[in-house]
Amino acid sequence: MTETVATTDEQPASPSATEETYDVPADAETYDCSYCGRPFAREDWLALHRGLAHPNDLDDAEVEAFRAAHEDEEESLATFRLQALGALVLIYFGLLMIYALV
Amino acid sequence: MTFGRRHRAALAVCGLGLLAATGTASAHGGSLAGGGRESLTIPTWLFLSTGGAAVGASFLLASFVTDRAFIERIHGWGRPLSGEFERVLGLVGQLIGVVGLAAVLVIGFVGPTTARTNLAILLVWVGWWAGLAMTTYLLGNAWATLNPLKTLADLLPTLDRSYPDRVGSWPAVAGLLVLVWLEVVSPLADQPRLLASAVAGYSVVTLAGALVFGPDDWFTQADPVERVFRYYGRFAPIGRGEDGLRLRLPGMDLSTPRLVDGPDEVAFVVALLWVTTYDGLVTTPAWRDLTTPLVEPGVPPHLLYPVALAIGFGFFLGVYRLAVRLSSDISDTYLTPAVLAQRFAPPLIAIAVGYHFAHYLGYFLVLAPSLAVALASPFADPATVPTLELPEWFGAIALTSVIVGHLVAIWVAHAAAYDLFPARLQAIRSQYPFIAVMVFYTMTSLWVVSQPEVALPHL
Ligand SMILES: [Zn+2]
Repeated sequence: MTETVATTDEQPASPSATEETYDVPADAETYDCSYCGRPFAREDWLALHRGLAHPNDLDDAEVEAFRAAHEDEEESLATFRLQALGALVLIYFGLLMIYALV
Repeated sequence: MTFGRRHRAALAVCGLGLLAATGTASAHGGSLAGGGRESLTIPTWLFLSTGGAAVGASFLLASFVTDRAFIERIHGWGRPLSGEFERVLGLVGQLIGVVGLAAVLVIGFVGPTTARTNLAILLVWVGWWAGLAMTTYLLGNAWATLNPLKTLADLLPTLDRSYPDRVGSWPAVAGLLVLVWLEVVSPLADQPRLLASAVAGYSVVTLAGALVFGPDDWFTQADPVERVFRYYGRFAPIGRGEDGLRLRLPGMDLSTPRLVDGPDEVAFVVALLWVTTYDGLVTTPAWRDLTTPLVEPGVPPHLLYPVALAIGFGFFLGVYRLAVRLSSDISDTYLTPAVLAQRFAPPLIAIAVGYHFAHYLGYFLVLAPSLAVALASPFADPATVPTLELPEWFGAIALTSVIVGHLVAIWVAHAAAYDLFPARLQAIRSQYPFIAVMVFYTMTSLWVVSQPEVALPHL
Protein backbone atom coordinates (compact mmCIF):
# COMPACT_ATOMS: atom_id res chain seq x y z
CA MET A 1 0.00 0.00 0.00
CA THR A 2 1.39 3.38 -0.88
CA GLU A 3 1.64 5.60 2.14
CA THR A 4 -0.14 8.84 1.41
CA VAL A 5 -0.23 11.85 3.66
CA ALA A 6 -3.96 11.49 4.04
CA THR A 7 -3.68 8.09 5.68
CA THR A 8 -1.73 9.43 8.64
CA ASP A 9 -3.16 11.62 11.32
CA GLU A 10 -0.38 14.15 10.96
CA GLN A 11 -1.39 16.88 8.57
CA PRO A 12 0.94 19.03 6.57
CA ALA A 13 1.00 22.64 7.68
CA SER A 14 -1.46 24.68 5.71
CA PRO A 15 -0.36 28.07 4.43
CA SER A 16 -2.22 29.99 7.10
CA ALA A 17 -0.17 28.24 9.77
CA THR A 18 2.76 30.50 9.04
CA GLU A 19 0.92 33.59 10.20
CA GLU A 20 1.90 35.36 13.43
CA THR A 21 1.44 33.55 16.73
CA TYR A 22 1.48 36.66 18.94
CA ASP A 23 -0.52 39.81 18.73
CA VAL A 24 0.82 42.48 21.09
CA PRO A 25 -0.92 45.88 21.11
CA ALA A 26 1.56 48.69 20.35
CA ASP A 27 1.23 50.41 23.73
CA ALA A 28 1.06 47.25 25.86
CA GLU A 29 3.53 46.46 28.60
CA THR A 30 4.96 42.99 28.05
CA TYR A 31 7.15 40.55 29.92
CA ASP A 32 9.03 38.55 27.30
CA CYS A 33 10.46 35.09 27.89
CA SER A 34 14.22 35.31 27.42
CA TYR A 35 14.35 31.67 26.25
CA CYS A 36 11.65 31.53 23.59
CA GLY A 37 10.49 35.13 23.24
CA ARG A 38 6.83 34.56 24.09
CA PRO A 39 5.30 37.78 25.50
CA PHE A 40 3.07 37.84 28.59
CA ALA A 41 0.84 40.51 30.06
CA ARG A 42 1.78 39.76 33.66
CA GLU A 43 5.09 39.11 35.37
CA ASP A 44 3.89 36.08 37.33
CA TRP A 45 2.61 34.45 34.13
CA LEU A 46 6.12 34.78 32.71
CA ALA A 47 7.54 33.25 35.90
CA LEU A 48 5.11 30.32 35.64
CA HIS A 49 5.83 29.87 31.93
CA ARG A 50 9.59 29.72 32.56
CA GLY A 51 9.12 27.01 35.16
CA LEU A 52 6.75 24.96 32.95
CA ALA A 53 8.39 25.35 29.54
CA HIS A 54 12.10 25.71 30.35
CA PRO A 55 12.56 23.98 33.74
CA ASN A 56 16.17 22.97 33.14
CA ASP A 57 17.50 26.34 32.02
CA LEU A 58 16.51 28.51 34.97
CA ASP A 59 18.86 30.36 37.32
CA ASP A 60 18.21 30.57 41.07
CA ALA A 61 16.29 33.84 40.91
CA GLU A 62 13.98 32.46 38.21
CA VAL A 63 13.37 29.27 40.18
CA GLU A 64 12.51 31.40 43.21
CA ALA A 65 10.15 33.53 41.08
CA PHE A 66 8.44 30.37 39.76
CA ARG A 67 7.95 29.05 43.32
CA ALA A 68 6.44 32.32 44.49
CA ALA A 69 4.14 32.55 41.46
CA HIS A 70 3.11 28.92 41.91
CA GLU A 71 2.18 29.51 45.55
CA ASP A 72 0.10 32.56 44.65
CA GLU A 73 -1.58 30.49 41.96
CA GLU A 74 -2.47 27.74 44.45
CA GLU A 75 -4.11 30.30 46.68
CA SER A 76 -6.22 31.84 43.94
CA LEU A 77 -7.16 28.34 42.73
CA ALA A 78 -8.40 27.46 46.21
CA THR A 79 -10.67 30.51 46.11
CA PHE A 80 -11.87 29.56 42.65
CA ARG A 81 -12.67 26.00 43.77
CA LEU A 82 -14.88 27.35 46.52
CA GLN A 83 -16.74 29.57 44.06
CA ALA A 84 -17.15 26.69 41.59
CA LEU A 85 -18.45 24.45 44.36
CA GLY A 86 -20.93 27.17 45.32
CA ALA A 87 -22.11 27.44 41.73
CA LEU A 88 -22.54 23.65 41.49
CA VAL A 89 -24.59 23.55 44.66
CA LEU A 90 -26.70 26.43 43.36
CA ILE A 91 -27.36 24.66 40.04
CA TYR A 92 -28.19 21.40 41.76
CA PHE A 93 -30.58 22.73 44.37
CA GLY A 94 -32.01 25.29 41.98
CA LEU A 95 -33.04 22.56 39.55
CA LEU A 96 -34.21 20.34 42.37
CA MET A 97 -36.53 23.06 43.64
CA ILE A 98 -37.83 23.88 40.17
CA TYR A 99 -38.59 20.20 39.52
CA ALA A 100 -40.41 20.03 42.84
CA LEU A 101 -42.57 23.01 41.92
CA VAL A 102 -43.31 22.24 38.26
CA MET B 1 -39.76 1.84 7.49
CA THR B 2 -39.08 5.46 6.85
CA PHE B 3 -35.73 5.87 5.18
CA GLY B 4 -35.61 9.47 4.15
CA ARG B 5 -35.88 11.39 7.37
CA ARG B 6 -34.11 8.91 9.55
CA HIS B 7 -32.03 11.42 11.56
CA ARG B 8 -34.88 13.23 13.13
CA ALA B 9 -36.58 10.02 14.04
CA ALA B 10 -33.38 8.93 15.70
CA LEU B 11 -33.11 12.27 17.45
CA ALA B 12 -36.51 11.57 18.91
CA VAL B 13 -35.02 8.45 20.43
CA CYS B 14 -32.38 10.64 22.00
CA GLY B 15 -34.95 13.05 23.38
CA LEU B 16 -36.85 10.14 24.88
CA GLY B 17 -33.65 9.03 26.51
CA LEU B 18 -33.32 12.27 28.45
CA LEU B 19 -36.84 11.90 29.74
CA ALA B 20 -36.25 8.28 30.67
CA ALA B 21 -33.08 9.25 32.47
CA THR B 22 -34.56 12.11 34.45
CA GLY B 23 -37.61 10.04 35.19
CA THR B 24 -39.86 13.07 35.17
CA ALA B 25 -41.82 12.33 32.05
CA SER B 26 -43.45 9.27 30.70
CA ALA B 27 -41.70 8.14 27.58
CA HIS B 28 -42.83 5.35 25.37
CA GLY B 29 -40.58 3.32 23.16
CA GLY B 30 -38.83 5.30 20.48
CA SER B 31 -39.14 3.58 17.17
CA LEU B 32 -37.26 4.69 14.11
CA ALA B 33 -40.20 3.83 11.96
CA GLY B 34 -42.49 6.07 13.99
CA GLY B 35 -41.15 9.13 12.24
CA GLY B 36 -42.31 11.65 14.82
CA ARG B 37 -40.66 13.19 17.84
CA GLU B 38 -42.38 12.60 21.12
CA SER B 39 -43.99 15.46 22.96
CA LEU B 40 -42.71 16.29 26.41
CA THR B 41 -44.63 16.18 29.63
CA ILE B 42 -42.30 18.63 31.34
CA PRO B 43 -42.25 22.25 30.12
CA THR B 44 -39.86 22.80 27.23
CA TRP B 45 -37.98 25.58 29.04
CA LEU B 46 -37.23 23.21 31.92
CA PHE B 47 -36.13 20.44 29.55
CA LEU B 48 -33.76 22.89 27.85
CA SER B 49 -32.49 24.39 31.10
CA THR B 50 -31.69 20.95 32.48
CA GLY B 51 -29.58 20.12 29.44
CA GLY B 52 -27.83 23.49 29.57
CA ALA B 53 -27.20 23.16 33.30
CA ALA B 54 -25.70 19.68 32.81
CA VAL B 55 -23.14 21.09 30.39
CA GLY B 56 -22.35 24.05 32.65
CA ALA B 57 -21.97 21.80 35.69
CA SER B 58 -19.59 19.53 33.75
CA PHE B 59 -17.36 22.50 33.10
CA LEU B 60 -17.32 23.40 36.79
CA LEU B 61 -16.43 19.80 37.63
CA ALA B 62 -13.62 19.72 35.06
CA SER B 63 -12.25 22.95 36.52
CA PHE B 64 -11.55 21.09 39.79
CA VAL B 65 -8.88 19.06 38.03
CA THR B 66 -5.92 21.45 38.20
CA ASP B 67 -3.01 19.00 38.29
CA ARG B 68 -1.06 19.70 35.10
CA ALA B 69 0.95 16.46 35.25
CA PHE B 70 -2.22 14.39 35.62
CA ILE B 71 -3.85 16.06 32.60
CA GLU B 72 -0.75 15.55 30.47
CA ARG B 73 -0.49 11.91 31.50
CA ILE B 74 -4.06 11.23 30.41
CA HIS B 75 -3.59 12.91 27.06
CA GLY B 76 -0.12 11.52 26.43
CA TRP B 77 -1.01 7.92 27.22
CA GLY B 78 -0.45 5.57 24.33
CA ARG B 79 1.41 2.56 23.05
CA PRO B 80 2.44 1.36 19.62
CA LEU B 81 0.55 -1.46 17.93
CA SER B 82 2.42 -4.09 15.97
CA GLY B 83 2.07 -3.44 12.26
CA GLU B 84 3.07 -6.75 10.69
CA PHE B 85 -0.19 -7.48 8.97
CA GLU B 86 -0.84 -3.88 8.10
CA ARG B 87 0.20 -4.24 4.47
CA VAL B 88 -1.96 -7.31 3.84
CA LEU B 89 -4.87 -5.75 5.71
CA GLY B 90 -4.42 -2.59 3.65
CA LEU B 91 -4.66 -4.48 0.36
CA VAL B 92 -7.73 -6.40 1.52
CA GLY B 93 -9.30 -3.13 2.67
CA GLN B 94 -8.68 -1.45 -0.66
CA LEU B 95 -10.22 -4.39 -2.47
CA ILE B 96 -13.31 -4.29 -0.23
CA GLY B 97 -13.65 -0.56 -0.85
CA VAL B 98 -13.52 -0.89 -4.63
CA VAL B 99 -15.93 -3.84 -4.65
CA GLY B 100 -18.30 -1.82 -2.43
CA LEU B 101 -18.26 1.15 -4.81
CA ALA B 102 -18.90 -1.13 -7.78
CA ALA B 103 -21.80 -2.77 -5.91
CA VAL B 104 -23.38 0.60 -5.11
CA LEU B 105 -23.18 1.69 -8.74
CA VAL B 106 -24.34 -1.61 -10.29
CA ILE B 107 -27.12 -2.46 -7.82
CA GLY B 108 -28.13 1.19 -7.61
CA PHE B 109 -28.76 1.35 -11.34
CA VAL B 110 -30.07 -2.15 -12.10
CA GLY B 111 -31.14 -3.62 -8.71
CA PRO B 112 -34.59 -3.52 -7.08
CA THR B 113 -36.23 -0.09 -7.00
CA THR B 114 -37.58 -0.38 -3.45
CA ALA B 115 -35.34 1.39 -0.95
CA ARG B 116 -35.63 -1.20 1.79
CA THR B 117 -34.40 -4.07 -0.37
CA ASN B 118 -31.85 -2.26 -2.51
CA LEU B 119 -28.27 -3.04 -1.56
CA ALA B 120 -26.96 0.33 -2.80
CA ILE B 121 -29.23 2.27 -0.44
CA LEU B 122 -28.53 -0.03 2.49
CA LEU B 123 -24.79 -0.14 1.85
CA VAL B 124 -24.42 3.63 1.60
CA TRP B 125 -26.68 4.70 4.47
CA VAL B 126 -26.60 1.75 6.86
CA GLY B 127 -23.23 0.18 6.09
CA TRP B 128 -21.18 3.24 5.28
CA TRP B 129 -22.61 6.46 6.70
CA ALA B 130 -23.98 4.83 9.87
CA GLY B 131 -21.83 1.72 10.41
CA LEU B 132 -18.43 2.61 9.03
CA ALA B 133 -18.57 6.14 10.46
CA MET B 134 -19.30 4.66 13.90
CA THR B 135 -16.31 2.31 13.68
CA THR B 136 -14.23 5.32 12.62
CA TYR B 137 -14.58 7.06 15.97
CA LEU B 138 -15.06 3.93 18.08
CA LEU B 139 -12.05 2.04 16.66
CA GLY B 140 -10.06 3.85 14.01
CA ASN B 141 -10.24 5.45 10.61
CA ALA B 142 -10.54 2.53 8.18
CA TRP B 143 -11.90 4.82 5.44
CA ALA B 144 -8.37 6.14 4.93
CA THR B 145 -7.60 2.67 3.56
CA LEU B 146 -11.00 1.62 2.22
CA ASN B 147 -11.71 4.79 0.21
CA PRO B 148 -12.16 3.27 -3.26
CA LEU B 149 -11.76 6.61 -5.01
CA LYS B 150 -8.33 7.03 -3.46
CA THR B 151 -7.36 3.52 -4.55
CA LEU B 152 -8.53 4.27 -8.10
CA ALA B 153 -6.91 7.72 -8.12
CA ASP B 154 -3.58 6.17 -7.12
CA LEU B 155 -3.78 3.90 -10.17
CA LEU B 156 -4.61 6.74 -12.55
CA PRO B 157 -2.07 9.17 -13.98
CA THR B 158 -1.99 12.69 -12.58
CA LEU B 159 -1.24 16.10 -14.08
CA ASP B 160 0.26 17.03 -10.67
CA ARG B 161 -0.63 20.70 -10.87
CA SER B 162 0.34 22.35 -7.60
CA TYR B 163 -2.69 22.70 -5.34
CA PRO B 164 -3.40 26.40 -4.69
CA ASP B 165 -2.35 26.98 -1.07
CA ARG B 166 -4.64 29.89 -0.42
CA VAL B 167 -7.69 27.77 -1.35
CA GLY B 168 -6.75 25.38 1.47
CA SER B 169 -9.65 23.25 2.65
CA TRP B 170 -12.41 25.70 1.69
CA PRO B 171 -13.51 23.33 -1.13
CA ALA B 172 -14.06 20.68 1.57
CA VAL B 173 -16.19 23.14 3.58
CA ALA B 174 -18.29 23.98 0.51
CA GLY B 175 -18.41 20.29 -0.46
CA LEU B 176 -19.73 19.26 2.95
CA LEU B 177 -22.47 21.90 2.84
CA VAL B 178 -23.48 20.85 -0.69
CA LEU B 179 -23.58 17.16 0.23
CA VAL B 180 -25.78 17.84 3.26
CA TRP B 181 -28.06 20.10 1.24
CA LEU B 182 -28.52 17.34 -1.36
CA GLU B 183 -29.10 14.79 1.38
CA VAL B 184 -31.79 16.92 3.01
CA VAL B 185 -33.75 18.12 -0.04
CA SER B 186 -33.52 15.13 -2.37
CA PRO B 187 -34.78 11.57 -1.82
CA LEU B 188 -31.25 10.12 -1.88
CA ALA B 189 -32.21 7.52 0.71
CA ASP B 190 -35.40 6.48 -1.09
CA GLN B 191 -34.47 6.19 -4.76
CA PRO B 192 -31.65 3.80 -5.65
CA ARG B 193 -31.22 5.21 -9.17
CA LEU B 194 -30.85 8.73 -7.84
CA LEU B 195 -28.37 7.62 -5.19
CA ALA B 196 -26.27 5.74 -7.74
CA SER B 197 -26.25 8.83 -9.98
CA ALA B 198 -25.14 11.00 -7.05
CA VAL B 199 -22.37 8.54 -6.13
CA ALA B 200 -21.26 8.44 -9.77
CA GLY B 201 -21.27 12.25 -9.95
CA TYR B 202 -19.28 12.57 -6.76
CA SER B 203 -16.81 9.94 -8.00
CA VAL B 204 -16.26 11.80 -11.27
CA VAL B 205 -15.64 15.12 -9.49
CA THR B 206 -13.28 13.50 -6.99
CA LEU B 207 -11.30 11.55 -9.58
CA ALA B 208 -11.06 14.67 -11.76
CA GLY B 209 -9.70 16.64 -8.81
CA ALA B 210 -7.18 13.92 -8.01
CA LEU B 211 -6.23 13.75 -11.68
CA VAL B 212 -5.42 17.47 -11.84
CA PHE B 213 -3.84 18.11 -8.43
CA GLY B 214 -2.61 14.64 -7.47
CA PRO B 215 -4.39 12.27 -5.06
CA ASP B 216 -2.35 13.37 -2.01
CA ASP B 217 -3.27 17.04 -2.19
CA TRP B 218 -6.83 16.41 -3.27
CA PHE B 219 -7.75 13.95 -0.53
CA THR B 220 -5.82 15.82 2.17
CA GLN B 221 -7.25 19.25 1.39
CA ALA B 222 -10.29 19.35 -0.88
CA ASP B 223 -12.29 16.14 -0.38
CA PRO B 224 -15.01 16.67 2.25
CA VAL B 225 -15.74 12.98 2.90
CA GLU B 226 -12.11 12.05 3.51
CA ARG B 227 -11.88 14.97 5.95
CA VAL B 228 -15.00 14.03 7.90
CA PHE B 229 -13.63 10.53 8.41
CA ARG B 230 -10.16 11.85 9.26
CA TYR B 231 -11.60 14.12 11.96
CA TYR B 232 -13.84 11.38 13.32
CA GLY B 233 -10.78 9.13 13.34
CA ARG B 234 -8.95 11.56 15.60
CA PHE B 235 -11.45 10.69 18.31
CA ALA B 236 -10.73 6.96 17.96
CA PRO B 237 -8.58 4.89 20.33
CA ILE B 238 -6.50 3.60 17.40
CA GLY B 239 -4.61 6.27 15.53
CA ARG B 240 -1.84 6.47 13.00
CA GLY B 241 1.38 8.18 14.05
CA GLU B 242 4.75 8.44 12.37
CA ASP B 243 5.76 4.94 13.49
CA GLY B 244 2.60 3.03 12.60
CA LEU B 245 -0.62 2.42 14.51
CA ARG B 246 -0.88 3.57 18.11
CA LEU B 247 -3.34 2.94 20.90
CA ARG B 248 -4.56 5.96 22.89
CA LEU B 249 -7.47 7.00 25.07
CA PRO B 250 -10.64 7.91 23.09
CA GLY B 251 -10.95 11.61 22.37
CA MET B 252 -7.74 12.59 24.14
CA ASP B 253 -5.83 13.16 20.93
CA LEU B 254 -8.12 16.09 20.13
CA SER B 255 -6.05 18.34 22.37
CA THR B 256 -2.88 18.02 20.26
CA PRO B 257 -1.54 21.21 18.72
CA ARG B 258 -1.81 21.69 14.95
CA LEU B 259 -4.64 19.19 14.58
CA VAL B 260 -6.68 21.98 13.06
CA ASP B 261 -4.53 24.38 11.11
CA GLY B 262 -5.84 27.63 9.71
CA PRO B 263 -9.23 29.33 9.47
CA ASP B 264 -10.39 26.99 6.68
CA GLU B 265 -10.05 23.94 8.91
CA VAL B 266 -11.73 25.72 11.82
CA ALA B 267 -14.60 26.47 9.42
CA PHE B 268 -14.84 22.79 8.50
CA VAL B 269 -15.20 21.69 12.12
CA VAL B 270 -17.89 24.34 12.69
CA ALA B 271 -19.65 23.23 9.49
CA LEU B 272 -19.65 19.62 10.73
CA LEU B 273 -21.49 20.75 13.85
CA TRP B 274 -23.88 23.07 12.00
CA VAL B 275 -25.06 20.48 9.48
CA THR B 276 -26.08 18.20 12.36
CA THR B 277 -28.37 20.95 13.65
CA TYR B 278 -29.62 22.05 10.22
CA ASP B 279 -30.71 18.55 9.41
CA GLY B 280 -33.13 18.53 12.34
CA LEU B 281 -34.07 22.20 12.21
CA VAL B 282 -35.75 22.07 8.79
CA THR B 283 -38.43 19.66 9.96
CA THR B 284 -39.55 21.68 12.99
CA PRO B 285 -42.90 23.54 12.89
CA ALA B 286 -40.96 26.71 13.71
CA TRP B 287 -39.06 26.44 10.44
CA ARG B 288 -42.33 25.91 8.56
CA ASP B 289 -43.96 28.91 10.22
CA LEU B 290 -40.90 31.05 9.66
CA THR B 291 -40.64 30.24 5.97
CA THR B 292 -44.32 30.21 5.00
CA PRO B 293 -44.56 34.05 4.81
CA LEU B 294 -41.53 33.97 2.53
CA VAL B 295 -42.73 31.20 0.24
CA GLU B 296 -46.30 32.48 -0.15
CA PRO B 297 -45.33 35.74 -1.89
CA GLY B 298 -43.21 33.70 -4.28
CA VAL B 299 -39.76 33.02 -2.88
CA PRO B 300 -38.77 29.72 -4.51
CA PRO B 301 -38.41 27.06 -1.79
CA HIS B 302 -35.52 25.48 -3.65
CA LEU B 303 -33.61 28.69 -3.01
CA LEU B 304 -34.69 28.84 0.61
CA TYR B 305 -32.95 25.65 1.74
CA PRO B 306 -29.42 26.35 0.48
CA VAL B 307 -29.66 30.00 1.57
CA ALA B 308 -30.71 28.98 5.09
CA LEU B 309 -27.88 26.43 5.13
CA ALA B 310 -25.36 29.12 4.21
CA ILE B 311 -26.75 31.74 6.60
CA GLY B 312 -26.85 29.29 9.50
CA PHE B 313 -23.28 28.24 8.80
CA GLY B 314 -22.21 31.89 8.75
CA PHE B 315 -24.02 32.42 12.05
CA PHE B 316 -22.37 29.40 13.73
CA LEU B 317 -18.95 30.50 12.46
CA GLY B 318 -19.62 34.04 13.64
CA VAL B 319 -20.61 32.86 17.11
CA TYR B 320 -17.51 30.68 17.33
CA ARG B 321 -15.26 33.56 16.27
CA LEU B 322 -16.95 35.85 18.77
CA ALA B 323 -16.30 33.28 21.51
CA VAL B 324 -12.66 33.16 20.48
CA ARG B 325 -12.44 36.99 20.65
CA LEU B 326 -14.01 37.03 24.10
CA SER B 327 -11.77 34.20 25.26
CA SER B 328 -8.75 36.14 24.08
CA ASP B 329 -9.92 39.24 26.00
CA ILE B 330 -10.80 37.39 29.19
CA SER B 331 -7.56 35.45 29.33
CA ASP B 332 -5.54 38.61 28.63
CA THR B 333 -3.18 36.70 26.37
CA TYR B 334 -0.92 37.89 23.56
CA LEU B 335 -1.61 34.76 21.53
CA THR B 336 -3.55 35.72 18.40
CA PRO B 337 -7.25 34.82 18.18
CA ALA B 338 -6.30 32.62 15.19
CA VAL B 339 -4.15 30.44 17.46
CA LEU B 340 -6.97 30.12 19.99
CA ALA B 341 -9.53 29.37 17.26
CA GLN B 342 -7.42 26.49 15.95
CA ARG B 343 -6.68 25.07 19.36
CA PHE B 344 -10.25 25.09 20.64
CA ALA B 345 -11.94 23.80 17.45
CA PRO B 346 -10.96 20.08 17.71
CA PRO B 347 -12.92 19.54 20.97
CA LEU B 348 -16.06 20.31 18.95
CA ILE B 349 -15.39 17.12 16.98
CA ALA B 350 -16.22 15.16 20.15
CA ILE B 351 -19.66 16.82 20.22
CA ALA B 352 -20.24 15.95 16.56
CA VAL B 353 -19.22 12.36 17.32
CA GLY B 354 -21.68 12.20 20.23
CA TYR B 355 -24.55 13.39 18.04
CA HIS B 356 -23.63 11.08 15.18
CA PHE B 357 -23.65 8.09 17.51
CA ALA B 358 -26.99 9.16 18.99
CA HIS B 359 -28.49 9.56 15.52
CA TYR B 360 -27.19 6.44 13.88
CA LEU B 361 -26.67 3.64 16.42
CA GLY B 362 -30.38 2.80 16.53
CA TYR B 363 -30.75 3.34 12.79
CA PHE B 364 -27.87 0.97 12.15
CA LEU B 365 -29.09 -1.76 14.51
CA VAL B 366 -32.66 -1.65 13.18
CA LEU B 367 -31.59 -1.98 9.55
CA ALA B 368 -28.48 -4.17 9.88
CA PRO B 369 -30.52 -7.39 9.27
CA SER B 370 -31.93 -5.86 6.06
CA LEU B 371 -28.38 -5.06 4.96
CA ALA B 372 -27.30 -8.65 5.65
CA VAL B 373 -30.18 -10.01 3.55
CA ALA B 374 -29.41 -7.63 0.69
CA LEU B 375 -25.73 -8.57 0.83
CA ALA B 376 -26.59 -12.25 0.56
CA SER B 377 -28.84 -11.78 -2.47
CA PRO B 378 -28.32 -8.34 -4.04
CA PHE B 379 -30.70 -8.83 -6.97
CA ALA B 380 -33.61 -10.34 -5.06
CA ASP B 381 -36.54 -8.10 -4.13
CA PRO B 382 -38.25 -9.86 -1.20
CA ALA B 383 -41.63 -8.56 -0.06
CA THR B 384 -40.54 -8.33 3.55
CA VAL B 385 -37.08 -7.77 5.01
CA PRO B 386 -36.07 -8.43 8.60
CA THR B 387 -35.46 -5.47 10.90
CA LEU B 388 -34.47 -5.40 14.53
CA GLU B 389 -36.91 -4.26 17.20
CA LEU B 390 -35.20 -1.96 19.67
CA PRO B 391 -35.99 -2.28 23.39
CA GLU B 392 -37.66 0.63 25.18
CA TRP B 393 -34.61 1.61 27.19
CA PHE B 394 -32.60 2.07 24.03
CA GLY B 395 -33.14 5.84 23.94
CA ALA B 396 -31.03 6.20 27.08
CA ILE B 397 -27.96 5.09 25.11
CA ALA B 398 -28.51 7.83 22.58
CA LEU B 399 -28.89 10.43 25.29
CA THR B 400 -25.80 9.19 27.10
CA SER B 401 -23.72 9.48 23.96
CA VAL B 402 -24.82 13.10 23.43
CA ILE B 403 -23.82 13.92 26.99
CA VAL B 404 -20.54 12.00 26.81
CA GLY B 405 -19.67 13.89 23.62
CA HIS B 406 -20.12 17.17 25.46
CA LEU B 407 -18.13 15.95 28.48
CA VAL B 408 -15.20 14.85 26.33
CA ALA B 409 -15.30 18.19 24.50
CA ILE B 410 -15.20 20.13 27.78
CA TRP B 411 -12.37 18.01 29.12
CA VAL B 412 -10.29 18.23 25.93
CA ALA B 413 -10.71 22.00 25.75
CA HIS B 414 -9.70 22.14 29.42
CA ALA B 415 -6.49 20.25 28.62
CA ALA B 416 -5.77 22.38 25.55
CA ALA B 417 -6.17 25.53 27.64
CA TYR B 418 -3.73 24.19 30.22
CA ASP B 419 -1.27 23.54 27.45
CA LEU B 420 -1.72 27.02 26.04
CA PHE B 421 -1.64 29.23 29.13
CA PRO B 422 0.95 29.35 31.93
CA ALA B 423 -1.56 30.24 34.68
CA ARG B 424 -4.26 27.69 35.49
CA LEU B 425 -6.89 30.21 36.45
CA GLN B 426 -6.21 32.00 33.17
CA ALA B 427 -6.79 28.67 31.39
CA ILE B 428 -10.08 28.11 33.20
CA ARG B 429 -11.31 31.64 32.49
CA SER B 430 -10.39 31.30 28.80
CA GLN B 431 -13.11 28.63 28.61
CA TYR B 432 -16.03 30.77 29.83
CA PRO B 433 -17.15 31.94 26.35
CA PHE B 434 -16.84 28.43 24.90
CA ILE B 435 -18.87 26.95 27.72
CA ALA B 436 -21.53 29.60 27.15
CA VAL B 437 -21.62 28.65 23.46
CA MET B 438 -21.79 24.95 24.33
CA VAL B 439 -24.69 25.53 26.71
CA PHE B 440 -26.46 27.48 23.95
CA TYR B 441 -25.74 24.71 21.44
CA THR B 442 -27.00 21.97 23.75
CA MET B 443 -30.19 23.88 24.41
CA THR B 444 -30.72 24.48 20.68
CA SER B 445 -30.25 20.77 19.94
CA LEU B 446 -32.59 19.75 22.74
CA TRP B 447 -35.14 22.27 21.52
CA VAL B 448 -34.99 20.68 18.07
CA VAL B 449 -35.57 17.18 19.45
CA SER B 450 -38.44 18.40 21.65
CA GLN B 451 -40.29 19.79 18.62
CA PRO B 452 -42.84 17.67 16.76
CA GLU B 453 -41.48 16.58 13.41
CA VAL B 454 -43.21 17.86 10.29
CA ALA B 455 -42.63 16.88 6.67
CA LEU B 456 -40.03 18.96 4.88
CA PRO B 457 -42.14 22.06 4.17
CA HIS B 458 -42.69 23.60 0.71
CA LEU B 459 -40.89 20.83 -1.20
ZN1 LIG C 1 9.66 30.61 27.01
